[in-house]
Amino acid sequence: MIGGVASVPRRLDLVILGCAISLALLGILFVASTTGAGRLQGLATRQALWVAVGLAGLVVAVLFDYRTLLKISFPLYCATLLPLVYLLFFGVRIQNVKSWIRFGSFQFQPAELAKISTALLVAYLFENEDDGKLRISAFVKLGAIVAVPFLLVFLQPDLGLALTMLPLLAVGLFFGGLPVRGWIAIILVVAVCAGGAWFFLKDYQKQRISTFFNPDQDVLKSGYQVRQSKIAVGSGGFTGKGFRSGTQSQLRFLPVQHTDFIFAVIAEEWGFLGVILILGLFATLVLRSLTLAGVARDRGGVFLILGLAAVIFFSVMVNASMMIGLLPTTGIPLPLVSYGGSSVATTFLSIGLILGVHYRRFANA
Amino acid sequence: MLRVRENRQGLNRRIEVARVLVGVVFAVLAIAYWYTQIVRGDYYFTLSESNRIRSVRINAPRGYVLDRNGAMLVDNEPAYTLHLYRREAKNLASSIDLASAVLKLPRDQVKARVDRGLRDPEFLPITIAENLGIEEVAGIEAHAPEHPEFAIIVSQRRLYTHGASAAHALGYLSEASLDQVKATDSGYRLGDWIGQKGIEGAYERLLAGVNGERRVIVDSHGREMAEERRLEARPGQNLFVTLDLGLQQIAEEYFRDKVGSAVALDPRTGEILALVSSPSYDPNWFTRRVSAKEWNSLLTDGDHPLQNRAIQNAFSPGSVFKVFVAYGALAQGLVDPNATVFCPGHATYYGRTFNCHKKGGHGTVNLRNAIKMSCDVYFYALGHRLGVDRIGEIAKSFGFGSPTGVDLPYEKSGLVPSEEWAIQKRHARWYPSETISVAIGQGPVLVTPLQVARALSALVEDGRLPTPHLFYASQEPRSGKRLRYTSETHEGIVLDPAKLAIVKDGMWAVLNEPGGTAFGSHVPGVEAAGKTGTVQVIGRESTVKAGADKKKLGNHGWFAGFAPRDSPEIVVSVFVENGGHGNLSAAPLAKLLFLKYFGKPMPEPPAPRPQQRAEKPEPPHFLTAARNEAGGR
Repeated sequence: MIGGVASVPRRLDLVILGCAISLALLGILFVASTTGAGRLQGLATRQALWVAVGLAGLVVAVLFDYRTLLKISFPLYCATLLPLVYLLFFGVRIQNVKSWIRFGSFQFQPAELAKISTALLVAYLFENEDDGKLRISAFVKLGAIVAVPFLLVFLQPDLGLALTMLPLLAVGLFFGGLPVRGWIAIILVVAVCAGGAWFFLKDYQKQRISTFFNPDQDVLKSGYQVRQSKIAVGSGGFTGKGFRSGTQSQLRFLPVQHTDFIFAVIAEEWGFLGVILILGLFATLVLRSLTLAGVARDRGGVFLILGLAAVIFFSVMVNASMMIGLLPTTGIPLPLVSYGGSSVATTFLSIGLILGVHYRRFANA
Repeated sequence: MLRVRENRQGLNRRIEVARVLVGVVFAVLAIAYWYTQIVRGDYYFTLSESNRIRSVRINAPRGYVLDRNGAMLVDNEPAYTLHLYRREAKNLASSIDLASAVLKLPRDQVKARVDRGLRDPEFLPITIAENLGIEEVAGIEAHAPEHPEFAIIVSQRRLYTHGASAAHALGYLSEASLDQVKATDSGYRLGDWIGQKGIEGAYERLLAGVNGERRVIVDSHGREMAEERRLEARPGQNLFVTLDLGLQQIAEEYFRDKVGSAVALDPRTGEILALVSSPSYDPNWFTRRVSAKEWNSLLTDGDHPLQNRAIQNAFSPGSVFKVFVAYGALAQGLVDPNATVFCPGHATYYGRTFNCHKKGGHGTVNLRNAIKMSCDVYFYALGHRLGVDRIGEIAKSFGFGSPTGVDLPYEKSGLVPSEEWAIQKRHARWYPSETISVAIGQGPVLVTPLQVARALSALVEDGRLPTPHLFYASQEPRSGKRLRYTSETHEGIVLDPAKLAIVKDGMWAVLNEPGGTAFGSHVPGVEAAGKTGTVQVIGRESTVKAGADKKKLGNHGWFAGFAPRDSPEIVVSVFVENGGHGNLSAAPLAKLLFLKYFGKPMPEPPAPRPQQRAEKPEPPHFLTAARNEAGGR
């Protein structure tokens, strides 16, 4: 089952692996830049540890036959949802959100694992669907599979994390073959619901939304983060202010800069060149994943790669847009780069699965 | 296991579509970052600079004010303010508890301050309390480790060393008003202290110095990380004023239970040696943020403590005026000093009877004795001969009717009547009978105590009108270099020393000869001279007022004097409202000031009452616009 050691590099996709490791190293570098002094000191070391854990997970994921995982995807799915249910009832609020489980001094977000198990279950669902039109039964199943973890996370309430479940739905619908009129129907329903929901939103929620559309109006409250991150990004210019010399980040005008806003730090300190470097690595990673999906051995493998890559792509898109105010602030980290153990480790796990599918792309492997 | 490859045409097509979509999204992101970083880069760079760089003012220490001998009058003392930085607070409630416990303030009051501050941007500190005591500062500092949110700010507070002493000369500080902030255009901000009135107001620029500036790099909490540039403040100049604290305090002690004012002047230079206005106020109230109650009590006090009576209250001069009328008549050759007038106690002009203050009359009096005894009948005759316009000219040549130019704000000019004035301002012609009363300093002649002192200075200084001033010298605090005030005098009139000697001699007799109106205030060991005056308070509403406040109906007393007789060094002008006759109410202070100035032994009791019987002034007999009418001696 496992090929000769010499053939591993040949069969493993080094482009994706290289992008992922580069991004993770850049992440450690900038976590170090923003947390060099003060009470956050030591986070870079911790991040490095998590990268190591993630790489170990990646190796395991590559070596483990994804087909086996697809077969047990439903029990896995249920197993990863259990902690979410537990959290909902017994969770301890950390920063107003019940999304963490503690093991001694380490904390873990089970929702991150739920993303992977949900991707597996979606892939398993489409394993046996025909190419072509999306059947109603598959549509309903797909909806249910994504809706359950989405709601569980949404109720924590962690909107950002919940939203990262949605690309799996999109993958199922799009690659499953939803016809054009189906898309139209879905868009109409969403529009009507959104309109109706506006009347039920609390004032502060409306405030956040209107802040998104006009951030300068409310400089010191909700608009503060967006404004400061725009200033950070914009002031970076072409080549940036230099590593560890970003005034916005080093003087802490940027909020949560080592986690959600780390991309703004890179943009400030390394400028547009740094932005192109990061976006380029991600674009390569995602586009390369699409290529790998195309050559996967079976439909399950295709959908697994597409689902996992879509989650990463979606996070990058939303996070990068957030920095410059193209999308509202939602608390979605930049995969592999932002500080955060669960996110880094599970992203490596996802990449391991992608590589694993590709590793086994030949039918007789 | 071998599996048949399923049909993946549709899937592969969609993957190609997805590839394009992903490419488009990354391209859009790249363009958006290009726009933000390259196109708008300079704009955001400016914003990031203004974020991190804050200009912090270095307050220039305000200059001290000292008296002419270097006695400290206005000092600076450290004042402690308690600030709270919200972001540092772990628990606002416990911060409030601590502050209220240490400051011994009601918790609600502290909480109200915090709540008010919550509306401000987070990086701004909330001011919890001002003017903390040393124990309170220690109490807060002791909790510094658990409560890093508190900061004690040390600033300089103005301290008027002698409280209410010389308050009207010194002025006070108050927070710059909106108008002042807009008007001055010299860097005042709301909440800044600015000199008001007195020396503090007049020499604001000199005392205030020039504030410096520090450009500092701050973090998002407003905490200083580094200093980029520093422009030192230029401290304010120390100011020596012409006051002599010793003389000043004697005058203030004298006025402790009286309402009125007094000025002591060096006639040669115009230096103000003492300036009292009673009642006074404590300027320290203003720098300690006067309470509404205290402020109200200052404003509603019927005696108007904030008013500087020496320059802002104009009264009829009473018989003090006679010396100027006498000199004027002599100078114009309208009177023979040896010619006599018989005083039977009254005289008749224009069908009216004018009484002398001495009912039995003074008998035969010449000019010298008319001054000495303050004979009204003699001056009625003189006034009749001069006419109001000539009296007015004389008065103006002594500086009456116009501001003295003293370096204090809000000075009144007083009033010198003339026939033209009567028509233009009063819209009624001048009655010749009014001239008779103007000749003895009553009727519509209004003068300030400072004008009297200045006019007397001119009289004794051969006609040179000095500009009264408080500025003695300024001192650069670092180098100690002093800058003296250059005296400014106006050539008033040229006085004939021989004629002047007659008037001076009469004034000498007032204090030094039996029968002189102020012989009771004779100054042993000092060749002093002077003239008393008494103004009877009467107005058309007098009867109404009589019911309301009897105290306010008493006579006003005047005294103006100088010493020594031959080369005068000090001129004194005293005015006591409702104090009784000038010889009893005002002259004793002049005596004390002369004794003090010339270093003579001071009497033990503050003001020995002269044993002279005061005579009743004549009743009012003129319809004039003036607030006070006069009968005098």
